[in-house]
Amino acid sequence: MRTKIIIFTLCLLLFPLGLLFYKVNYLNLSILPQKVDDSWHFHLTIKPRNKDTAKFPLPKAYHGLKITDEKIVSDNSEIIVENQSDSHLASWKNLGEVKTGILYSAKIDIDPVVYKTFHKDYTQVYPRTYQKYLKVGELSPEELDAIQSLERAILEGDEDKTSAIRKIFYYIDEEIRRNFGVTKIHESLFTGNGSPLVKAKIFNVMARRQKVPSRIVVGIRMPTPQEEARKQKIRFTYANEVFLNNKWIPIDTNRSYFGVRPDNFLVIHRNYDEVGKYLSKKNASYNIQIQRAKMNRFNKEVYRDEVVKSDSLVARLSLYRLPLPLQQMFSTILLIPLGTLVLAFARNLIGIPTLGIFTPIILTLFFKETSFGFGLFFFSVIVGVGILERYVLDKFYLLAVPRLSIILTFVILFMIGYTLVSVDGGFFSQKHLAFFPIVIVATNIERLSIMLAEDGLINTSKTLVGTLVIAVLGYLLFSIPSLEILMFTNPELLFTVIGLLILIGKYKGYRLSEFLRFRDLVRQKKVLEGEK
Amino acid sequence: MIFSELNRLGILGINNRVGRYILRHNKRKLYPYVDNKVLTAKLAEDWRIPTPVNHLVIKNYGTLKFLGEKIQDLDSFVIKPAKGSQGNGIIVIKEVIRTEVNGKKKIVCRRSNDKLMELDEVKHHISGILSGLYSLGGQSDEAIIQSRIEKHPIFDDYSFGGIPDIRVIVFQGYPVMSMVRLPTRSSDGRANLHQGAIGAGITLSTGLINHAVIGKKLVTHHPDTENEIRNLVLPHWRDVLDLAAKCYDMVGLGYLGADIVLTPNDGPVLLELNARPGLGIQIANLSGLVPRLELISANVNVEHDYKARVDFSMKHF
Repeated sequence: MRTKIIIFTLCLLLFPLGLLFYKVNYLNLSILPQKVDDSWHFHLTIKPRNKDTAKFPLPKAYHGLKITDEKIVSDNSEIIVENQSDSHLASWKNLGEVKTGILYSAKIDIDPVVYKTFHKDYTQVYPRTYQKYLKVGELSPEELDAIQSLERAILEGDEDKTSAIRKIFYYIDEEIRRNFGVTKIHESLFTGNGSPLVKAKIFNVMARRQKVPSRIVVGIRMPTPQEEARKQKIRFTYANEVFLNNKWIPIDTNRSYFGVRPDNFLVIHRNYDEVGKYLSKKNASYNIQIQRAKMNRFNKEVYRDEVVKSDSLVARLSLYRLPLPLQQMFSTILLIPLGTLVLAFARNLIGIPTLGIFTPIILTLFFKETSFGFGLFFFSVIVGVGILERYVLDKFYLLAVPRLSIILTFVILFMIGYTLVSVDGGFFSQKHLAFFPIVIVATNIERLSIMLAEDGLINTSKTLVGTLVIAVLGYLLFSIPSLEILMFTNPELLFTVIGLLILIGKYKGYRLSEFLRFRDLVRQKKVLEGEK
Repeated sequence: MIFSELNRLGILGINNRVGRYILRHNKRKLYPYVDNKVLTAKLAEDWRIPTPVNHLVIKNYGTLKFLGEKIQDLDSFVIKPAKGSQGNGIIVIKEVIRTEVNGKKKIVCRRSNDKLMELDEVKHHISGILSGLYSLGGQSDEAIIQSRIEKHPIFDDYSFGGIPDIRVIVFQGYPVMSMVRLPTRSSDGRANLHQGAIGAGITLSTGLINHAVIGKKLVTHHPDTENEIRNLVLPHWRDVLDLAAKCYDMVGLGYLGADIVLTPNDGPVLLELNARPGLGIQIANLSGLVPRLELISANVNVEHDYKARVDFSMKHF
């Protein structure tokens, strides 16, 4: 009997793993769908002014920037995209009257760039092609004066290039406040105010004067959700790049980044010197629209295609073939067995008392369906109602079922009240599953109030805390997105869960709580043995 | 391993109790005979095992209307849920006060803790029992109006309030371990260990108290009567064990807890049976169940009648 159980359990544990191995190695499926970060729908409309030909920079894919579904639409123009080494420059020739302008759209996916260590840099010689990044342009006497006095103030003159760049960065980043009205270098340095462009210019000039190749990057900062909601106008902004230790290091004095380019900054062009003139209003007017693409954290669609293509029995049994609402339901339902695993562990191995057997899991589902904060709040309200009920309804001598129904009705009244009061429509937006725990939680009130009367406050509190602890543990487990997707992608793992449950079920050893329960017994026994 | 001491003392844990003893030796279909006290009482009658008299079994709400008439001959009684556990839902009425107000009969009941209960309150409590408030798993239930048992005078010096009961754990018909639960003031006169009653371990061979605990703490004297508990010698001890061992023949559950009370006149009376007896008895006896259970496992003889089995237990434990 014992060996049979062991073999059976082993099969349950190993079968899903075998299937997983088969899927990965023979069907070439990924274990998890590809992770997708936020991506963006990017639209740029350009209207050239009074010119037959014009140019405008367009984003170009690089390592860390993925551009897909690129489209250029124009009514009457011929467009050529010049492929420069670092950027794209579109130029067009108008064949007729331009009405709607030129529309560029693409889907954009940005990865952040992060450099962590910066070594000292004493480079003297740079490639010939980098000479353009070292040329300090013409400066007016006032500008030169202002820059020289700043250099005297912050630089010692004998530091390496990395340290010098850092000092320049800190000064411009911290001492010059953003002010779109100040666009001249010397004014900016005197007043401590400056537009994003002038800040980038100051940095650029000062870096080049230290013989560090430097360039101004034209870019766009992706809107925050609030800005998106406000439909705030999006404009080009500016940052810098410097060439240190053979790498172009991103620097942004407008948003305080040194060696970091966050994933919300889209590079349009890497050399302002070349495209500055095209961006001016005299050349063209432009309009940028960006929407956050609402995507899962995991790209289920891609995986679905992958599964369907594999054309095997596994593909036919995959949950990815279900319609989306069913998929969502199952991805939650598949977590429940994992919750029971936590519950079984907590009850049988640790010995945490709970109110009812599955109440913690139902509570966990409730947390997940609504939110942790609300779930906890609601649970406390239920407990409160349970205690009140003892005092109020008890005096009416009502039969139990109507009494329970009254409590349930009160709970629903409370929910209506809450939903009406809360501004954003409460928690009921299409969350049908939430009804299910409510009924069950409500029936627990009676059990709770009896417990209070018979086992006292301390024992009841222990049980309540135990229930909550397991519910919270379950909630933490349920909040791991890759776990949810793993179960959904490979539901055969449920057999592993069954196998583990059998192992817990066969455990005959002590519970952790029994160590505490019998601790005094052991101690007293030892004392008695010592007396003998 | 933090459990090595527990192992050494042979303490039975919950998982072990369920997995190795209850699931293996207690057939599920036999549970109703212990979980439902009405069935237990009927079975006991057939087996001539003494139990308290059930005056009345209330099965539906309609009967409640006539409760006043049905209890008119009773001076005291106990209300119990048929499927209750751990003493939940039990109310002891020690006096029924009958008065006449403006020509109308009025009944007030005095509980064992001297609280007064109107007849309506009693009915409300019973309807709670019927709808399953106190039953295992919450199914609808029946309420029993049972005769109140008198306390054996030997316990007068060792208990406060209610009636002490003797728990005997019986494994495959052999008594394994025993304790007596002595009510205290802090247990509200109830023989419930969780609420602060004394658990006093009894040596099976002699019927003498070996240790006594309140909660987890060793005690030597009853906190209310201040008498030394070790001086208590249980009368009719052999009869108590015989009765417990007979219960195995009666219900056929291999792992069983028998709750027995001593009455002044009739000797030991079976109060109720339990298919999942608790583990606190080990604390009261300051010793583990496992070695005893294993000794019995190794020596089980199906030919033995209850007397032979009790002889075995009294010899070894």
